[in-house]
Amino acid sequence: MDTLAEALPPGLFAPLPPGIEPAVPVPGYPNTWTHTPAQPLIRRPATRTEVTGPAELWRKLPCGESNLAVPAPGKVAMGQLMHMSGRVLDEDGRPVRGAVVELWQANAAGRYFHPIDQRDAPLDPNFVGNGRVRTDGDGRYAFFTIKPGAYPVPVKDTWWRPPHVHFSVLGPSSLSRLVTQMYFPGDPMNEWDRILTSLPDPAARARLIAQQVHPSEVGDGWLAFTHDIVLRGRHATPEAP
Amino acid sequence: MPDSIPPAGTLPPTAQHTIGPFFPRTFFTEGDNDLTRVNAAAPPSTRGETILLRGRVTREGGVPCLNAILEAWQADAAGRFNHPLDPGRHGADLDFLGWGRAWTDAEGAFEFRTLLPGGYDDPAGRRAPHVNLTVMGAGLMRRVLATAFFPDFPAENAADPVLNLVPAERRARTVARAAGEEGGIRVFRFDIHLRGAAEEETPFFED
Repeated sequence: MDTLAEALPPGLFAPLPPGIEPAVPVPGYPNTWTHTPAQPLIRRPATRTEVTGPAELWRKLPCGESNLAVPAPGKVAMGQLMHMSGRVLDEDGRPVRGAVVELWQANAAGRYFHPIDQRDAPLDPNFVGNGRVRTDGDGRYAFFTIKPGAYPVPVKDTWWRPPHVHFSVLGPSSLSRLVTQMYFPGDPMNEWDRILTSLPDPAARARLIAQQVHPSEVGDGWLAFTHDIVLRGRHATPEAP
Repeated sequence: MPDSIPPAGTLPPTAQHTIGPFFPRTFFTEGDNDLTRVNAAAPPSTRGETILLRGRVTREGGVPCLNAILEAWQADAAGRFNHPLDPGRHGADLDFLGWGRAWTDAEGAFEFRTLLPGGYDDPAGRRAPHVNLTVMGAGLMRRVLATAFFPDFPAENAADPVLNLVPAERRARTVARAAGEEGGIRVFRFDIHLRGAAEEETPFFED
């Protein structure tokens, strides 16, 4: 008869290392000063509700939409075609199989297909800009999309968000839930971005920057980038049916 | 589970970032905020009491948050999770996924249709029935973690090892309020106030 204590080895979920969590509120990002909780957060033990998560989430969230660049035959999005792939891993480097990976991004002009984005940059009738897949047996995900554009943040003392891609990853537990963003190598705007630089640890920032794949490996059809994502937790890889 | 565990944490976790204001509406499908069925085409669970959990998300000054994204996660009506880390998983309600997602409208309002969860025994102590809620949105650089308990269970709540970590004077803010019935279904109200003085801010947790 296994007990939870046996099923849950100590150290399965360690506290996050310092410097990884964004420092909040963020200077120059006014919304964070009105939304961020002001009272101290209450550290709680990882009980069963925290260490578990929906094991069959794809039954609720349909997966398999991975071609954002060519949503239908003959309808090609504007911009630089881009292949975006990588692995979802746990802290031990094990692949997380069957994780649900959601990707969304602005179009090549830096505008989102979202009713809240009313900036006067053009929408692209052939680009909605989101997709959802499950990782395969090696923890891999892949999307075919276009490189997003930069856009200004409409605040006093504005700044430009560098081109970036949003990721939402739903892994094996509530504790491993991750919403993050990915940036492109070599863009000077990365260092000016108040969201990326809210991470105190420069190494944590560097880990949010994708790697470009050399053209000799991908040919002349599209740009290619890879980006691995590490979810919190060890050993946290239940087999997906 | 493998027998041995390698030395801790060779890879640091990827840092979290804000979900931003533009989490796609097109990611939502009918039934995402209905936990009583696995998806819109699936039959509803028959094991437990269906309830509505409603509330508003507000920021400093009580201003409603538009397009905040909420995710709910909870045990089934018998306190079980269909997950390898629950020793009782084989008795779990397979018509109940336990997870749902909602977004807030211009009034900051959200709603989940779900089952009244069951409590369970945990090494940390007996957990009272509860729903874990994650709030994400523009201006929130980190996920905000709240837990809704229920007024039906005062004795269980008083013994819950997580609720007991909340300063006594703030505990009432983490218990949903009974708010009548709608079509024979009990409604519970759980408002989430992101930022304010200790007596008004919802208690939030850190894992």
